Amino acid sequence: MPETILETKGLTRRFGGLTAVDAVDMVMRPGELVGLIGPNGAGKSTFFNCLTGFYPPSEGEVRFLDKPITGLKPFQVAKMGIGRTFQNLRIMPNMTVFDNVSIGAIGSLGHSLRRALWPFNCLTDNEISQRTWDILARVGLDSLSSELAANLSYGKRKYLEIARALATDPKLLILDEPAAGLNEQETEQLADFIQKLNREGLPILLVEHDMGLVMGICQRVMVLALGKKIADDTPEAVQQHPLVLEAYLGGEECQY
Amino acid sequence: MTDNKLVSHSVRANLLVLGLLALVLGVVPGVLSFLGKSYYMQVANSALIYCVVAASMNLITGTAGLMCLGHAAFFGIGAYTAALLNTHFGLPFLLTLPLGGVAAGLAGVLVALPTMRLISIYFAVATLGVGEIVHVTLLNWVSLTRGPMGMQIYEPITIFGHQFTGLLSIYYVIAVLACVSIYLLWRMNHSYFGNALRSVREDDQCAEAMGISVVKLKIQAFAASTFFTGLAGAVLAHSAGYISPDSFQFSESILILTMVVVGGLGSLPGSILGALLLILLPEVARGLGDMRNVAVGVVMFLSILLLPKGIFGEVSAIEVARKLFNSAWDGRNAVGWK
Amino acid sequence: MDTYFLMQLINGLSVGMIYALIAIGFTLIFGVLNVVNFAHGEMYTIGAFAGLVCINMIHAPLAIIIVAALVAGGLSGIGLERIAFKPFRRFQDEASLKSRAMREATLLSSLAVSIIIKEVIQHFFGAEMQTIPGQYMLNNPIQVGPLSLSSGQFLILGSSILMLGGLQYVLYHTRIGLSIRAISNNPLGAKYVGLSVDKTIISTFAVGSMLGGAAGIMVGLYYGAIFPTMGFTPSIKAFVAMVMGGLSSIPGAVICSLILGVCESLATNYLTQGWSDMVAYSFLIVTLIFFPQGIFGSRRERV
Repeated sequence: MPETILETKGLTRRFGGLTAVDAVDMVMRPGELVGLIGPNGAGKSTFFNCLTGFYPPSEGEVRFLDKPITGLKPFQVAKMGIGRTFQNLRIMPNMTVFDNVSIGAIGSLGHSLRRALWPFNCLTDNEISQRTWDILARVGLDSLSSELAANLSYGKRKYLEIARALATDPKLLILDEPAAGLNEQETEQLADFIQKLNREGLPILLVEHDMGLVMGICQRVMVLALGKKIADDTPEAVQQHPLVLEAYLGGEECQY
Repeated sequence: MTDNKLVSHSVRANLLVLGLLALVLGVVPGVLSFLGKSYYMQVANSALIYCVVAASMNLITGTAGLMCLGHAAFFGIGAYTAALLNTHFGLPFLLTLPLGGVAAGLAGVLVALPTMRLISIYFAVATLGVGEIVHVTLLNWVSLTRGPMGMQIYEPITIFGHQFTGLLSIYYVIAVLACVSIYLLWRMNHSYFGNALRSVREDDQCAEAMGISVVKLKIQAFAASTFFTGLAGAVLAHSAGYISPDSFQFSESILILTMVVVGGLGSLPGSILGALLLILLPEVARGLGDMRNVAVGVVMFLSILLLPKGIFGEVSAIEVARKLFNSAWDGRNAVGWK
Repeated sequence: MDTYFLMQLINGLSVGMIYALIAIGFTLIFGVLNVVNFAHGEMYTIGAFAGLVCINMIHAPLAIIIVAALVAGGLSGIGLERIAFKPFRRFQDEASLKSRAMREATLLSSLAVSIIIKEVIQHFFGAEMQTIPGQYMLNNPIQVGPLSLSSGQFLILGSSILMLGGLQYVLYHTRIGLSIRAISNNPLGAKYVGLSVDKTIISTFAVGSMLGGAAGIMVGLYYGAIFPTMGFTPSIKAFVAMVMGGLSSIPGAVICSLILGVCESLATNYLTQGWSDMVAYSFLIVTLIFFPQGIFGSRRERV
């Protein structure tokens, strides 16, 4: 078992003259549920995109399971075992729920033209079907498997996204604002679900706006403000942290 | 789901396949030879060839969502490769056929490599440019292609020493090839490979984040699609005995695109229906004289306006494929692909 | 050699101006609707045929013929918008304005309309080249120093510069120009501040198609070639120029059209007529590979 799941050292990303992420160090250990919060424009999404390969970092290093993944393409990062969801729902509306989730399984188990042309039953394809069904049952979407994703309710789509990420069989799951747009009751259900996944041994990095959700379920919370990491501690300690208070409450006038 | 139902599904699927095969290999040639008009036979031949072309274009434009405006170019590359190899080097049909496909497939990869990263409209423009480049080359490289005069292929289709000279026997050669190609395209569409292609069409970034190598996948799809188009071109060259650059110009690409769109983007049975409709319609509308091409435009326009999902839309095509062919093997996994 | 080179240059510029007139229509429409109008080449054909009808029916003077082509182009542009674009604009929110489905639907519907127009013209006039009475042909030689130019080149260069000036005036000094610019910058925002999107789109089509129609008749009279499929090649080349210019920049499209025209006419030194079409297509492929956003695209000039 590796010591750390995910580790960044001096991760920096610049856009022109703007430094969106500024020398962020972080460590995630096995089985942890870590929250990443920050006010609007703090660089959460950029940080996130650097982790998953969507933006190559300008400087610094990302290590995943003790292997460097800096500069890898998104699909390579995903194949190594980082599953992610998207901030604004990115489901595939003209495909069924089953097919949506199968994309995750296809991504990690591989797709090939040769297998498509092979007219007989094939082990990998069976495995894709099997895994997709297991995940659908786990998130409670199996009864809707043949429904078009476009016909799902907003809340169900959130679970669909998480299911698709789970189907890649991730060793780390990164959720980008999963509670956005959900009401209180739905958020609570989601929190339970995330905790359940975490108890089953899956490390989760939760990038979130909703303080309640993060403070409620995370074991450790990181705070980004203006691209810098200003706090990294237990939820209780973070809530008392003077820099965090300033970033969230007092700092607005001087920042803008 | 009971075992009974599964069996009946499986029987129904087999019956459907047998029925279609009987129609293509028995009823159609039977009726046509009964009517005894060689012209109808020629129409049937070209309809089958266009079914393959439309089905293969559907793989990239419908399933993978890459709007291609130069598909006739690959059709032409296949046809001219076969014709040139046959007339200059005397290669037999059994060799020129796959080589025509391979040449078109290679051209497809060559086009795909630099253009795959372009966003949709630029990709469409790039394929349009490639289509015109091929057309201009065919038209002007007179020493090789005889330019606008076109090329004649005098040798009849010969397989293992047996010559296929009559229209009916040529029909059978085309029909068998069309059935095999369409079966393979069917497999590509209705498998996890097809799912991956559809995910790329719906949201390529998201597919990439799930671990799908989008560029590799698009290139594979493009190569497969152009291969089958080239194959169809080679068959056209041999069966018609005459090809000219006119058959591979921009309007031809649009005709193929129209077949796919009218039938339903992403639906393989749809594109076959579209191909049949657009090949047979001008024949039916023969009474309209030279206005019959207007009918093509009108059909295209009306179908986009009134049937935006096509005659046989993708969703229903996939549903049918699953109900008929997949539930046959395992009840629970009927929704997936085998 | 020098005078020959100069003549080819002027020849290329006048061909380039024709491409520019067509490309501006493409660019304006792309700017406003974010879709490619594949029936734009037919506006060029319609302009040419309208002029031809004027010549044959009423033996009108040149100025009237050009006005007729402008009017015919403008009217058919409006008709095209009503038939091929309006029905697909049922939803007006940002997502559907930029959605792929809508873009593809209008791309295909404009293709369909272009087929119909071409076939109908062919039905009424025949597929062959039309004959133009000799006195209307614009190929009277004019000596300028050592250069022998023709009246057609003067007409094309002169009137297209005039039209470009007019376009600049319309875009920057009239209300309708303001709304065209506003909508191509932000369709939803323009709608929210009370601009009539519908009216603006119609006038964009009218302006763009007028320029296309004028280009058609001028080429027809200069080269003496009017036939139903005449719109295809120039419109593809104008399209190439528009892509090179970055899809939504008018100055970019004009400059690239001129570059294309000059390169083509210089290339005729080395290539035969048929192969010289390759120049445009290779420009297109090279541009797309090396400047995927167009040569002038990065500057983000909108209209």
